[in-house]
Amino acid sequence: MMTTELKRTGLAGVEELYQRRGQRARELSEQGAKVIGYFCCYVPVEFFTALEMLPYRIQGGVNEPITEADAYLETIMCPFIRSAFDLALKNRYDFLDGLVVPHTCDTVQRIYDIWKYYRKPAYSHFINVPHMLQPSSYEFFKQELLTFRKSLEEFAGRKMTDEALTKAVRLHNENRALVRQLYDLRKPDPPLTSGVEILKTMVTGMGLPVLEYNELLRSVIREIRERGGGPGKKPARILIYGSVIDDISFIQLIEDSGANVVMDDLSTGLRGFWHDVEPTPDPLDGIVNRYLDKIYCPRTYRPQAETQEKDLDNRFGYVYKSAADFQVNGVILYVIRFCDTYELDAPDFKSYFQKKGFPVLYLEDDYSAGTLGQLKTRVQAFIEMIA
Amino acid sequence: MAFLKGSGDVEENNLSREVLVMSEKPAEKTTSTKATETVKKVRAIVRGLYQNAREAKEKGQFTAYTMTACQYEEILNAMDIVPVWTENYAGLTAAKRDAERFVLKAEAEGYSNVICGYVRVGLGFDALRKEMGKTPENAPDGGMVMPDLLLGCGSACDPRFKWYQALGRYMNVPTYSFDVIWPPVDADLDEVRNYYIRYQREQLQGLVDFLERQTKKKLSHDRLWEAISRSNATWRKWWEVDQLRKAIPSPMPTEDHYNAMVPGFYCCGTQLAVDFYEELYNEVKQRVDNNIGVVPEEKYRLLFGGGLPPWHTMWIFNYFETLGAVFVMENAYRIYDPVEVPSHVKDPLDYLAWRTFLRWTQRYDMAKKRSGIATVERLLEYIEDYRIDGVVTHATKSCRATTVGQIDWLHRLNEYTNIPSMQLISDIIDVRDYSEAQWKAQIDAFVEAVEAHKRRTAR
Repeated sequence: MMTTELKRTGLAGVEELYQRRGQRARELSEQGAKVIGYFCCYVPVEFFTALEMLPYRIQGGVNEPITEADAYLETIMCPFIRSAFDLALKNRYDFLDGLVVPHTCDTVQRIYDIWKYYRKPAYSHFINVPHMLQPSSYEFFKQELLTFRKSLEEFAGRKMTDEALTKAVRLHNENRALVRQLYDLRKPDPPLTSGVEILKTMVTGMGLPVLEYNELLRSVIREIRERGGGPGKKPARILIYGSVIDDISFIQLIEDSGANVVMDDLSTGLRGFWHDVEPTPDPLDGIVNRYLDKIYCPRTYRPQAETQEKDLDNRFGYVYKSAADFQVNGVILYVIRFCDTYELDAPDFKSYFQKKGFPVLYLEDDYSAGTLGQLKTRVQAFIEMIA
Repeated sequence: MAFLKGSGDVEENNLSREVLVMSEKPAEKTTSTKATETVKKVRAIVRGLYQNAREAKEKGQFTAYTMTACQYEEILNAMDIVPVWTENYAGLTAAKRDAERFVLKAEAEGYSNVICGYVRVGLGFDALRKEMGKTPENAPDGGMVMPDLLLGCGSACDPRFKWYQALGRYMNVPTYSFDVIWPPVDADLDEVRNYYIRYQREQLQGLVDFLERQTKKKLSHDRLWEAISRSNATWRKWWEVDQLRKAIPSPMPTEDHYNAMVPGFYCCGTQLAVDFYEELYNEVKQRVDNNIGVVPEEKYRLLFGGGLPPWHTMWIFNYFETLGAVFVMENAYRIYDPVEVPSHVKDPLDYLAWRTFLRWTQRYDMAKKRSGIATVERLLEYIEDYRIDGVVTHATKSCRATTVGQIDWLHRLNEYTNIPSMQLISDIIDVRDYSEAQWKAQIDAFVEAVEAHKRRTAR
């Protein structure tokens, strides 16, 4: 396993790493580690850990105007992907040795060929993730992961043993448990920590070896518990549901408007941490089940239930449960424009929560700090309404 | 821009082509004028699709909402399930400039205005039907029948399974979605072929199991083979028509293709489709033999390089023709060429799985050696075979699947050819995203660039 000493601890460490994104990955790269960039939460990060590589979840930059990507990418597509590619064109990801892209949605699929062609990473691999959850889908996904495993082994120049993979599963499960512990610190009212602190920690973790991330999480949880206080009681407790939020500005906006963000189901938030990989005799089986079935992104089709009510429960019931557990009194549905799967779910999601008694604010955003002003008025009005 | 009102109808293609080319377009006309006589029969075929579905429903036959290229056409045919092609219906409403009420209804229901135009029409149609308790008033071609089944798939784009899931708001109809999946270009096909085909076969088997449960009828493999045989004959003859289109002058333009595609996609597996392409082949052959072109003087040969066509304004192809530019070939609703499934494949579902894999991995070998993208290879092939002078793509605001990557394709094309290219922007359905003045200015400038390029290369 990649063992490195952690120099940054607690919330100060988080702050430093959040402000200097990619810094730790650069340091490790300079020390000879292979750093592999990936999109979304469907890439089994355990594989990289088992081969002592560093998985780096690729982020965009809401504060950085898109200036280079326009020459390669259409404007009618996911602005997060455009932003991430823009950063790549500006050499902000020059520390990446490779790129792994899962087929999560149409746009992510397309960026694979484009990134590969114009950035020419030393290693690249595309994983087809079934949209369906039929029995044959699991078998297919297992085969896809075997192909990925073989390809990554070739790049690493050594085999990934089942023993190393099992150990990686254990470490990442520990990581997931720690993230859930961190999230639980917002259950009390007032919460012990803010949505901003949580997001900074989550973003920071996207570029750390799992051992370091686990150590950092322990130090952050300890510090928050010991310091007491926190963001203080506010009139509203908010849950955010959506895809990518990898900058604090929007969360900050909500928390400056009289609410505490106490829970999320975001692709960059808890989405990838709800469920552990179950230990299985063949560690790959647990990985297949967890990555295919236990990540509730709208890009996965959940087979139709006998009634619409049950169907919606299948798709959104887990979010409702956490909204109830965390005693939220308002839900923000945050959708990045041109994200077809979320946009097609939005009316269902909204009416589902409204029927359950939760006010919902549906925001379609351009993934740009420049558009925050437009959102501010709506967020403030919403919080005033529910407070 | 507000919705433009018009009374365009795809039947309005009986106007004298020369009159249209020589004069200004009629103020209200939005559909294209066709060159071949055979494709003028398509309008009646389309009307028949919706009429047949209504009659089938009355007789107690199963009807299903369906999508193109899900690879299940022959299965439906063999099981007497009458398809209602929802994407086609959306295109029809756009061609008739009657999409507005459906699109606005979907948006009023909370669906974003950047969601696929086809989907917005479909959701709006069904939302209105639910609200009114009947088919929306004067719906084009009598409207889509209330289906007994919804059959989505993951082929080509995400909305193709999300749309029918969303329809749960408006109807309680048994729904089945399945994967149609293919490997990336850089995959080692020898390594992945077996498990991709196995998965495709199992996905199709899952569909068959679902249909058998719903209809309480068993799929006859003999009937499935018969449907496959007819559909292969259809696609083979269609491909032969397109080989004829290499002729100079072009005997059949792209606007004709967008009518001619109807039997291939929406009547696949039927004798009607086989007969249609036979007739089209004979007509196009006759035009080639007699040097009959699309316009009196064909100056420039263009390739419609991708993106779905602007169904709301198909006459734009005729506008190019007024400048002497003819679209002689296209890369949309032209998904695959005929493929040879190995003879050892004896089971019809195995055959469909194999065929799917082979269709989607066409040109992978070339792409690996050259551009890295199978679509770019297809375009390069067409540019050479069809003697293309310029490439035009259509970026459609609401379609990620056919739009994202177009700029990249054009970049890569530039590495291997120096012919001019242009990207037009609007939508498949939503005319609010279309600016006629802007398009005309862009087209005029592009045709000048094509002319300049031809002059330069002729020296």
